[in-house]
Amino acid sequence: MSERELNPREHAAGASLAPSTWIAALPEWLIRHAARRAPPDLSERLEEEWRADLADRKSIFARLRFAFGCCWAAGVIVWEHRPESVPVTNAALRPKASVGYMRDDSRILARRSLTFFLVAGLHVLLFYVLMTGLAFKIIKVMPTAFQVRLLQPPRERTVPPSPPPQASMPKLYVPIPDFPAIDVPVEKGEIIPEPPATLPSPPEAPPVQAHHEVLRTAGGPGIGFPNTDDYYPSISKRLEEQGLATVHVCVGVNGRLTSDPTIAQSSGNRRLDEGALMLAKAGSGHYRATMEDGRPIDSCYSFRVRFALRTGG
Amino acid sequence: MSRNDGKVRMSLQTLHVLEAFLENPTEQLSGADIHQRCGIASGTLYPILLRLESAGWFVSRWESIDPSAAGRPRRRLYRLTSTGLRRASEVFASFNRGVVT
Repeated sequence: MSERELNPREHAAGASLAPSTWIAALPEWLIRHAARRAPPDLSERLEEEWRADLADRKSIFARLRFAFGCCWAAGVIVWEHRPESVPVTNAALRPKASVGYMRDDSRILARRSLTFFLVAGLHVLLFYVLMTGLAFKIIKVMPTAFQVRLLQPPRERTVPPSPPPQASMPKLYVPIPDFPAIDVPVEKGEIIPEPPATLPSPPEAPPVQAHHEVLRTAGGPGIGFPNTDDYYPSISKRLEEQGLATVHVCVGVNGRLTSDPTIAQSSGNRRLDEGALMLAKAGSGHYRATMEDGRPIDSCYSFRVRFALRTGG
Repeated sequence: MSRNDGKVRMSLQTLHVLEAFLENPTEQLSGADIHQRCGIASGTLYPILLRLESAGWFVSRWESIDPSAAGRPRRRLYRLTSTGLRRASEVFASFNRGVVT
């Protein structure tokens, strides 16, 4: 009995069982598909047999369950009916008429090969990730300026006028003017004009300003100010980074910072600038206030911090 | 046809199928009949039937009806062979050995 003879009645029966939707046609399609997977000598028989048994199932769920079971059964049947042994003759052993047998399980080999290549691919991928991704992360974590910084000229050349090098390093440049008491015998608020018609003659004494002279003593780092070396970034020491940073601070009458210090002039190196700022913050409370007429006042000023490596022993 | 030379793997489902046939050894059953008696799913049942047929325990034939007149496809009917009957009886006898009822 061929499929074509059965189909019209089956379709008619199927139409009475379920609405004419693709779901109703799905079990038969699955059975047809499963039967085609079966060995050729069993394919037609199984399809007809399964179609006949499918007709006994009335509900769509039972039909679908039966059809999926047939798909599974086709896989089992294919597995059990796979070719077993193929005789293989060896030309070298022909005089002895030796015949070997090998299993014709090319599908299994293909499956094993697929698994093997999949596992090998995963290993290659893992190796690639380890060699590239993590390496990139490590490079990002490490300072990227190792090679470049060493080839750059010393930072002092880029800084405009630097103070003369001093023997003991590191050192803070702290202007400490020491004004003697000035007693100007002039009248306040007056300016002594020069005689208009006199010949130029060397003055006997420097002209003294007639205005009220405000005695102002600039502040700066005072007693107990932290040591620069304690704030020299260790990585900068290893990289032999040196430089001079100018820090701008605002100091109150009590010698404490009234605002966060800022970099007035960079040393050209971010790490050194940060070290200078940390030093300036740590020195809060140890600044000398600016004195004006003998009284401390709030003021802002700048001072320079030099980070330099010690040379010699 | 006896591809397995009579050696059949005795699973629980195979025993259920044999039991259904041993109730009336001369009866011819289709896959749908066995499903109704044993409740074995199609994915398990048909490989068992083919396995037993290959081993020579079963023979099968098409149902002798006219599908057009019957309004349904013809079924495949299975029946125990004499070999199958003897082997199945041996199998069940071995299971009952030593059992005192």
